[in-house]
Amino acid sequence: MSTAVITGTSRGLGRALAERLLAEGWSVHGFSRSSGEITHPRFTAHAVDISDEGAVRAAVDQISDPIDLLVNNAGAASLNALLLTPGSIAASLMRVNYLGAFHCLQSIGKVMVRQRRGLVINITTVAVPLSLEGEAAYVASKAALDALTKVAAAELAPQGVRVIGLGFGPLSTDLTRAVPGFKLAELDARLGRPQGTSLAQAVDFIIQHLPAASSASGTIAYLARL
Amino acid sequence: MLTRPQALALVLRRLALLGRELGKPQLEQANEETRLFGEAAALDSIGLVTLMADLEEDVRAACGVSVHLADEKAMSRLTSPFRRVGLLADHLIDVVEKSTPPA
Repeated sequence: MSTAVITGTSRGLGRALAERLLAEGWSVHGFSRSSGEITHPRFTAHAVDISDEGAVRAAVDQISDPIDLLVNNAGAASLNALLLTPGSIAASLMRVNYLGAFHCLQSIGKVMVRQRRGLVINITTVAVPLSLEGEAAYVASKAALDALTKVAAAELAPQGVRVIGLGFGPLSTDLTRAVPGFKLAELDARLGRPQGTSLAQAVDFIIQHLPAASSASGTIAYLARL
Repeated sequence: MLTRPQALALVLRRLALLGRELGKPQLEQANEETRLFGEAAALDSIGLVTLMADLEEDVRAACGVSVHLADEKAMSRLTSPFRRVGLLADHLIDVVEKSTPPA
């Protein structure tokens, strides 16, 4: 039986992925600020703010099983023109999208180094390679995460730990709720996905990348035509 | 609580295991003065990181406390506690004293 830690399991992609892995026989530890509604004998909910280094470390200390997979999924978004984005919003996005992933990668990376194996998937966005206007603070925070993915892959590869990034266009989650429908449709068309991307398709894409042969460490792959 | 001989034994034991794993038999002969990083050191940066990760778990198993060896204080010292085996053993004692058992 394999064990995964997924951040942001209270809703959206994190929850859909957790449910899929549970259905496939995994044990799943969910890191979320709110508890969510997953009830399964192999699911353990950890109420943790991932931007708090000590809280992440304490949560990881509670996991006694070997950890095969970490998915840094928890994220926040804010759509604002650069000149209209409050600094507090930019700082908040960096805390969740970059620093939160950093804390989880560091704590669980140590566990994986001790095991001499493991897979880390950082969830990113097409908004980085597209340099999407109106998302400067969000794009910058995810670009930082992408850079972290590449450096972590190089540093941890000698100990058998693979680190990859998987990026998506708009998904039907709370993150995109405030975006006008026509804007999402324009972006989906640009990405070669006129029907959009469902949570199930995104989960399938993640599952495809679990085998080591599917992608080299340090790779960032997108479910989109860029 | 960790005594100096216990701390030194933890470091030397872990270095010996790492030496076998990395094919560096000289790590099995390490002593208090063995240099851990820098010029002519026993470990490269990957080896040092691996040693720290393994030692944190060793301390947890031996003392029942969760420690973070590379904390801000350790990283900002003029003399790095990771430079030599003896300094690292002293650092283990220090962090164990300041740590509380996991809830």
